[in-house]
Amino acid sequence: MSKRLEGFREEFPYAIAESMKFCNAARSREFQVEAIQRLEILKTRASALKTEIVANKDENLANLLLSVENMLQAVISELKMWVAFKDEDPSAAWTDLVGAQSAASTAMRAHKIAANLDAYIDRLHALEHLLFPPQLFFSSGIIIKRSTCSICGHEYGDCGHVKGKAYMGQMCGRIIKECDLSEISVVSNPANKHCRVISTNDGKVTRDFMTWRLIDEQVTKNSDVDDFKKVLMSNTK
Amino acid sequence: MSIQQYDYVDVEKKAQILGCNIPTDLALLPRNFEDAEFKDDLVHEDSVPTVRILFRQNGITETSIERDGEKYPQISEKAFEGWIGPTIFVSFALLNQNPHILSVALGVISNYLTDIFRGIPQHQNKASLNIVVQTTKKKTYKRIHYEGPISGMEQIPNIIREVSSSE
Repeated sequence: MSKRLEGFREEFPYAIAESMKFCNAARSREFQVEAIQRLEILKTRASALKTEIVANKDENLANLLLSVENMLQAVISELKMWVAFKDEDPSAAWTDLVGAQSAASTAMRAHKIAANLDAYIDRLHALEHLLFPPQLFFSSGIIIKRSTCSICGHEYGDCGHVKGKAYMGQMCGRIIKECDLSEISVVSNPANKHCRVISTNDGKVTRDFMTWRLIDEQVTKNSDVDDFKKVLMSNTK
Repeated sequence: MSIQQYDYVDVEKKAQILGCNIPTDLALLPRNFEDAEFKDDLVHEDSVPTVRILFRQNGITETSIERDGEKYPQISEKAFEGWIGPTIFVSFALLNQNPHILSVALGVISNYLTDIFRGIPQHQNKASLNIVVQTTKKKTYKRIHYEGPISGMEQIPNIIREVSSSE
């Protein structure tokens, strides 16, 4: 396994650098799709290596590979964003950009191997403002009654795993099992950028908040949803 | 960065009225401890379980105001761009015995925040939290509210020392 790991560690930076050449608007779609496919294969290999390393209980290497998986995912998501723009699907492009930001941030927290990603993350945040119109987001306030740890499944707080830290190749999260909704706010800087306004109505017409195209009124009238749900929220990932 | 000072309810009396354990050393107080009429109304910040894990792992002993088997719900809201920390009560006795306890506790929190804020834009790397202390002379309680960058948290212990010995 150590030979495969060494081979992977040599191949990985080269693959990232090669793929980054296609992370812009000018490169042709087909090359971007090919780069995504190459990185997906590499990510599958990273996951397989991680599984073996976890079995050997090497936490440092497992977290390193978690970081690698997320670096690969960040570039995959960015490439998908450029492809989505070419497919005239800016909503999907937004989802991919937010995915890239999230994966890059996770990579940095998972292992020091990704300690130098600041410039890349700044670039992703610059793209957010340069490529997309200003967005409006929703943010929810909740009363948490019960939550569990994503690592061990125990009540969160009773175990020793801390939210946002990596343990044996997995990022610890807090899974909310039981909660009450206390409020919904419209915010400009949300915790979750997937949770955004996707359409707006000025009393006359309904428009897609991203493309500004008119949305078929019949669809809105026939939709069997309450007023709140008409303010469509995108929270798919 | 902003550090503001407010009067605070008598922690011992309020804990008695609500039927909570009386905090003797260091404790995490619910967000609405001052205003709650009943124990069932109490809610913690959602950061409290995380801070409790960090304190346990770093040998910082908390005298929990929850009685055995009790758990207060936690509120999570995103109006503030950053990390909303708990209200940390430090008794006068503990501050006297161990003047560095607050620096240690805040150091543990700021180290954690430095880790989890990696890869987050600078303007979102903010923290807010409250410290409640008893003053030396008049035996009143004061709440110090901090809001700002993680690096500014190291100034809190000095301010707490000034506040606790001021009146």
